[in-house]
Amino acid sequence: MANFLVWVVWFGAAFACLASALGVISFSNPFYSALALIGNLASLAVLYLLLGGEFVAAGQVLVYGGAVMVMFLFVIAYLGDRTDASPWSGGPSWQIVGAVLAGGAILAEVIVVVGLKAGNLLEQPKHISRSFGTPESIGRLFLTDHLLAFEVTSIVLLVAAVGGVVLGAHARALESDART
Amino acid sequence: MTQGAWACLLLPLASAFAITIAGTRISRRTAAFISTLTAMAAFVEAVIVFVEMWGKSPADRATATTSWTWLSAGSYHFGFTLLTDQLSVMMMLIVTGVGSLIVAYSVGYMDGEDEERRFFAYMSLFLFSMLLLVEGGNLLMLLAGWGMVGLSSYLLIGYYQEREAAVAAAKKAFIMNAFGDATMALALFLLIQHTGRLDYAGVFAHSPVGGTVANLIALGLLGGAVAKSAQIPLHTWLPDAMEGPTPVSALIHAATMVTAGVYLIVRCHPLFENAYVIQDLAAGLGAATLLMAGLIALVQMDIKKVIAYSTMSQIGYMFVGAGVGAYPSAMFHLMTHAFFKALLFLAAGIAIHALTGEQDIRKMRGVGKLMPYTKWVFLAGSLALVGIFPFAGFFSKDSIISSCLQHGTYGALLWLAGIIGAFLTGVYTFRLFFIVFTGEPSEFAREHYHAHHGKEGPVSMLWPVGVLAVLSCIGGFIQWAPLWTPLTTWLSPVAAPLVEPTSTQEWATSAIAMAIGLAGIGVAYLVYGARSIPLPKTWPLLEKKFYWDELYDFLWYRSSDAIARGLYAIIEQPYIAGSIAAVSGLAGESSRELSAAQTGLVRTYVLALASGIAILAFVFLAAR
Amino acid sequence: MHGPDIQWYVILSAILFTTGALGVLLRRNPLIILLSVEIMLNSANLLLIAFSRLHGREDGQIFAISVMAVAASEVVVGLGLIVAMGRRHVELDVDKLRTLRG
Repeated sequence: MANFLVWVVWFGAAFACLASALGVISFSNPFYSALALIGNLASLAVLYLLLGGEFVAAGQVLVYGGAVMVMFLFVIAYLGDRTDASPWSGGPSWQIVGAVLAGGAILAEVIVVVGLKAGNLLEQPKHISRSFGTPESIGRLFLTDHLLAFEVTSIVLLVAAVGGVVLGAHARALESDART
Repeated sequence: MTQGAWACLLLPLASAFAITIAGTRISRRTAAFISTLTAMAAFVEAVIVFVEMWGKSPADRATATTSWTWLSAGSYHFGFTLLTDQLSVMMMLIVTGVGSLIVAYSVGYMDGEDEERRFFAYMSLFLFSMLLLVEGGNLLMLLAGWGMVGLSSYLLIGYYQEREAAVAAAKKAFIMNAFGDATMALALFLLIQHTGRLDYAGVFAHSPVGGTVANLIALGLLGGAVAKSAQIPLHTWLPDAMEGPTPVSALIHAATMVTAGVYLIVRCHPLFENAYVIQDLAAGLGAATLLMAGLIALVQMDIKKVIAYSTMSQIGYMFVGAGVGAYPSAMFHLMTHAFFKALLFLAAGIAIHALTGEQDIRKMRGVGKLMPYTKWVFLAGSLALVGIFPFAGFFSKDSIISSCLQHGTYGALLWLAGIIGAFLTGVYTFRLFFIVFTGEPSEFAREHYHAHHGKEGPVSMLWPVGVLAVLSCIGGFIQWAPLWTPLTTWLSPVAAPLVEPTSTQEWATSAIAMAIGLAGIGVAYLVYGARSIPLPKTWPLLEKKFYWDELYDFLWYRSSDAIARGLYAIIEQPYIAGSIAAVSGLAGESSRELSAAQTGLVRTYVLALASGIAILAFVFLAAR
Repeated sequence: MHGPDIQWYVILSAILFTTGALGVLLRRNPLIILLSVEIMLNSANLLLIAFSRLHGREDGQIFAISVMAVAASEVVVGLGLIVAMGRRHVELDVDKLRTLRG
């Protein structure tokens, strides 16, 4: 019974994920695309929960959905209503064909790999304990085995913050120059 | 004796090297003296070698010394060999003796030239090359010297390198000589093929006797000799070579280089005797040349050109001598010719120098009255040239002519040519003497004559001419066939004469030749001296030097030019230039095509990325 | 593990990735392109977490968290650029940025 429930949830989340992704790339109004992405992120969080990643799922919703997408929405709102009249046109004639071919090729290759069982790398999932994916175990790993990744990531975040300020300030200074 | 030979050979080379390395660090005078003193030292060495050789018995006189193996290819080994024997020491004495006199003369003649050092370096180089030629112990050394004298001749003819005519003449000389070098090389190839060696003793013993190969070998050597000695048909370069300074004309184109052809025939006489047809051909070419050159010299207006044609004619005599087998006579005439021809050139040089470079005899008319010393020495040289007793030419020329009588009917024809040649010699030589050195001085001569500190020329120019004049007077007495023949005895172990004329033939020929010569002088006096007979009209045939230059221009230059133009149009332009243009066009086209990929759109670049990833993934999959 | 096997997640991730790639390749609005890049990053994250579950180790989840942090930084910079474009009244169309055209 529990298995059946898991499948139902999985299919729901997967369907929502795919539909919202298609929505992101199809809407001509960027506002709608951003909202579709929020839906995508939420369904992905559900999938993470199904995979036992509690902390990651929470982080996804908080960081991605709560911070990044809000920022996106702010910028879209600031830049006004610039709707693409014809989102799919433009570029050289072979662009669309080439894009579909490349994307299709990558997809086909992945399917083939899965079909070939990737050389027996896809074995049976291992048994996990109750503390799998809890903040406690994630935190322990971050501060012992992956300390370097932790520190470097924080530096990257700092740099990005500084970069954002610089980009914004630069534009503001120029704007003030333009006004005077 | 060996060391003397090496010293004689290397002294001029050291001088050339030293002058070249020192460059402008030494004064021009110093360079001149280095060259002169080494030439004289080389002469002293040659005398030492000669004296040593005289002390030995005739059988012992030849020495070949090899210092190292020069060329080694498979089973062929050619050494850097010097051969010192009677023939080579005679040539060494002539080359260094007359050479040092001429180099001493040029100290005065070339004084004040900007490029004096270059001149003396080249003169020393020439002396070295000529000595290498005559001292060489195998045919390879001879060929090396042969080529180098050609080079020195080119450098010295073109000495006045700003003058276009001089440069053209130098090229002409070198190209014609290169043709002779090529035929000689072919002959050497045949010799290597058939005997496997090039040293004289070996080659003479083992080369084929009679037959096509022997004829070809002799013909190849004859080709080289004809080119170097300016005989028909490779003679047209010699008159043009008079563009060089007068000492050069004296040394190279009178006394030594042009006689190298005669030396070659005498040295390789066994090869020629194996192919007697070619030897007869050599005599015939000599006879034809001596007549043709004599005729052309009758109408030349440039003093040096007259003497040049005279040289050509006299070498014709030497070829006749070598062609009939009278080797000692030919060498004897080579020696006396060196004396009086150099004397004539140098004396003419004194007159040219005094008249600041004028060479046209019409303008130089009568300068003898202003320059008596020059007049008398020129007279001595002229009498020697015509062959009047007791001057040097009498003894040597007549031996050659009389030897022809021993050569059958063909020889009789050669004899006749020699006698006619003697007449022509008298006419043209004394035409020159009477016009330039007798009578009243012309306007030009009076205006332009400038004495050198009261004398006719610098002392360094006057004394060598005096020495040569003395030699021209008494030098012939060394051999008076049929009375005493020390020279023939000396040379016999190396080059024994094939024919010995009888006493009657000798005396008769001498008398007839001298009488004919005097007749020639008489005719010249009547026409040019006393003006009793008016000047005959000049024939275009003679003026145009028998149209040889025009013929060669048509045969070689025009045809080569046409071929070159044709090839340029047919092959070079479309294919060679076209292929290069095609390559560049291809590069341009392909880059234009490829630049279509640079659309400037970010999206296309990302597409390229995605496609690349897809392809890579495919490759990795396929590899599994 | 309850529910689908790992293959299902791999294929789902691949489809998501392709969708994101198509979005990057075929849209002209830089905002949409940035959103499509986010989709691609998320698909990679899904794959990481799926494999982490397969191997029973949390290292994949650590990786995914780092990816999230980096993606956030990248979005900051990208949006800063787009805002700068907007301030200078440059039209929000990547096809208009053609100075590198050869």
